[in-house]
Amino acid sequence: MENLTNLLTEFIANTGFALADYRYIIMIVIGLVFIYLGIAKQYEPLLLVPIGFGILMGNIPVFKGLGLAIYEDNSVLHYLYFGVTSGVYPPLIFMGIGAMTDFSTMLARPLLMLLGAAAQTGIFITFLGALALGFAPNEAASIGIIGGADGPTAIFLTAKLAPALIGPIAVAAYSYMALVPVIQPPIMKLLTTRKERLIRMEEPREVSKKEKIIFPIIGFLLCCFLAPAALPLLGMLFFGNLMKEAVVTERLAVAARSSIIDSVTILLGMTVGASTQGDVFLTPQSVGIFILGAVSFGIATASGVIFAKVMNLFLTVKINPLLGAAGVSAVPDSARVVQHVGQHEDPTNFLLMHAMAPNVSGVIGSAVAAGVLWSFML
Amino acid sequence: MNGLEAIAAHNGWAISVVGVSIVFTGLTLLSLTISQLHKVIKFWDERDKFSQQVKQLWKKEEPREEKEEEEEEETIPDFCLAQDIDEITRQFKLLTKRIGEPFPLPKLLEISERCGLFRPHSAINYLLRTERILPDGKGYFYWNENK
Repeated sequence: MENLTNLLTEFIANTGFALADYRYIIMIVIGLVFIYLGIAKQYEPLLLVPIGFGILMGNIPVFKGLGLAIYEDNSVLHYLYFGVTSGVYPPLIFMGIGAMTDFSTMLARPLLMLLGAAAQTGIFITFLGALALGFAPNEAASIGIIGGADGPTAIFLTAKLAPALIGPIAVAAYSYMALVPVIQPPIMKLLTTRKERLIRMEEPREVSKKEKIIFPIIGFLLCCFLAPAALPLLGMLFFGNLMKEAVVTERLAVAARSSIIDSVTILLGMTVGASTQGDVFLTPQSVGIFILGAVSFGIATASGVIFAKVMNLFLTVKINPLLGAAGVSAVPDSARVVQHVGQHEDPTNFLLMHAMAPNVSGVIGSAVAAGVLWSFML
Repeated sequence: MNGLEAIAAHNGWAISVVGVSIVFTGLTLLSLTISQLHKVIKFWDERDKFSQQVKQLWKKEEPREEKEEEEEEETIPDFCLAQDIDEITRQFKLLTKRIGEPFPLPKLLEISERCGLFRPHSAINYLLRTERILPDGKGYFYWNENK
């Protein structure tokens, strides 16, 4: 009888109920909020649902040594997490993004690419902020990249520079990406007048197939010669785009933009979520990262809008400054937000197509910025 | 170490300024390159035309008659660059089979536009100038079987 009691007591002592502390509970609540936002509010469901469920998986309290937790060397989750820590998943996602992105509007109006560059200012300003708050340069660079609003880029750079911060940085980056419709509109409205928001854009010219095929090759060579450290991300992005545009490789492009990117997104989202174990994740440092991430994202949005206004001082045909907000590389959410805010003022004004130009150039810009920061920290 | 001191100690100002400059330079270069890309492609597509123009510039003046003859040869409409003229002739012959011979040109034009043929005005004009289509003197046209 005593034996039975001992066994039962031991079993109870090893259950999640006995091992849990308040940090796990907080993280489980956060995971549930992510799942709710993804399913009920449809904020980036393809990201928030895997991350949210990953948070639940990572925060089941388990006893150490059995090879269950993500930070234990011999656990299955640890092997899956290798794709994150080694920086394998982000380039694969970039290949998929390349295979589904149409660069036509950017090719038709290359001037709008500068908005994508301007929005990257947020990365470097936040880098300074993080340094000022006492973060080490490597960590500050990883925190700054959150302002690029590009999850895979943030994970890639953090995996290279500050692997210990992958969890909070990835969750912050994807959270802010999902919250683009909430964060950006107030900044956009604050920085523009109604008259500016009503500006209509000129119809872009038609872009030939040859241009679309040549662009990924030129873009890749030019950007990677300038910032070689961006090679893994930009190489895969432009390669994916070349497969799409070349038509003869359509089958590969379909695989890249469907099965490959979907599989990697599942693994990345789930393992990043699982890496947020309460005892590792809930630290004052993580709170600092979240705050700096929000600041970074806000500055990136504001930089794009302000730069568009500055451009208007010199342009004869004015551009709608709302487009500047699409310079952050949350594709296509920030472009959709621009469309939404523009249509709120004038329902007949269609900005989505034009906003895609700074949006996709933002993807290139944030990858270049990541490459530059990485090379400076080596 | 915190604040401005930390930024200065880690070379933060220089990294930020150079970083922003590199991103701007990269995207500006890319922007400039792709803004000229369509012009380069157009130039490449029309390279024969340009090379002929360059050749003409270097050529010495030749007797007028010869020159006129040459010009006539050179003024091949640009649709010939894109499509084979025999293929165009074949397509228009198929159309005239539907409307019968002799045929009125406006009708041929209308039906060719409706069928989505490539630049029908220029094509018919070319067929007339090369005497593949001949007038019958009553306002109708017929195919020159010798061509």
